[in-house]
Amino acid sequence: MNIPAQGMLSLVLALACTGLTLPAGAATFRVDDGASLPRDSTALLRWRQVAPSRARDDTLEGAIAVAVRLNLSPWINQRGRLFLVLPEQGTTPLRASWVTHGRLLPGEISPGRRVLVYEGPITSPFLEDTLALQIEADGSRLPGMQRVSFYFEIDTD
Amino acid sequence: MRTTVERSSTSASTVLLVALLACSLPASAFTVNITAANPRVIYLQVGVGAFTGGNLNAGGSPAANPTVNVVSVTVPAAQVGSGTAQTMTTNSTASTSFYDGYAFCNVPGQLYIGGFYRSTTNTGAATLQATSAANLINTSGGTTIPFTEIRWTSSGNGESGAQPFPAGTFVGGTQTIGTINRNQWAESCHTFSYVNSSFVAAGTYTGRVTYTLSTP
Repeated sequence: MNIPAQGMLSLVLALACTGLTLPAGAATFRVDDGASLPRDSTALLRWRQVAPSRARDDTLEGAIAVAVRLNLSPWINQRGRLFLVLPEQGTTPLRASWVTHGRLLPGEISPGRRVLVYEGPITSPFLEDTLALQIEADGSRLPGMQRVSFYFEIDTD
Repeated sequence: MRTTVERSSTSASTVLLVALLACSLPASAFTVNITAANPRVIYLQVGVGAFTGGNLNAGGSPAANPTVNVVSVTVPAAQVGSGTAQTMTTNSTASTSFYDGYAFCNVPGQLYIGGFYRSTTNTGAATLQATSAANLINTSGGTTIPFTEIRWTSSGNGESGAQPFPAGTFVGGTQTIGTINRNQWAESCHTFSYVNSSFVAAGTYTGRVTYTLSTP
């Protein structure tokens, strides 16, 4: 039952790499945005209309900035389309819109959608920008703090 | 032999760590926490109130107004204790609703009572209560009139349905006047009257009613 050291290494590498897709050819990959960080820990949303109106506008709205740093090194010197993705997360209905400092495109998104934020050549290993997010949520269904998770995807040619 | 086993274990762990670092695609997501800055907001206006920036439908916002309005009646001597109800009037000038500026109440015969309740959680309606003393007291003689001698009807211009704060009679204690459902505005105009059911000594009888809007 003794396994030689070389055999162990091969086995471990094989197990660790099973199922992983390498970024080559036309495909969609999740982008490492682990260095991205919201400027504040929490976005405080306020009633768009302090008092309830006949139009029943129960919207809460607020803003938060996110410093985005995307690791694009696996796709350097390729063309790609970057998307911001907001998965369905079972939270209150919400909508987010954003403007940027120019590296990424502005846009808006709702859960279950992805929106193009960049298209073109990948010329540097990291792409940095700031998303000034404006978030609107249904104030009649926001019982407490909720976590809204975004991520980025890249489509390569 | 024992030393060899330990070294092999350490080596395997290191290989596993290196392998995972080398082969795993770095995927992550950034998370934004959202929460309501003011999950519950209430506004209550009894008599005059205050809004800044216009009415609600013009973008106005509620403000504080510490005014305590008076509802009163002077009973003619020949009518004291006759059993004929005496309609009261108020010094409140609040006739229009801050909701939209609509002329909802008629002063001086009616007292405006309205408010709203904002909440992000569905835990029930806000409750409006009134607390009155047992009696109105004659400031010059100490004689009293039970607060139960004062009642009110409820209405609003242009409305024919049930009022959120319906007609009633003070109980000389704390009582529920009505409710405001979540994320709604509610308003009524109260017309007070003194029942005048018993003969009382001459004088000025006063008492205070405090209205309290409570959220669940």
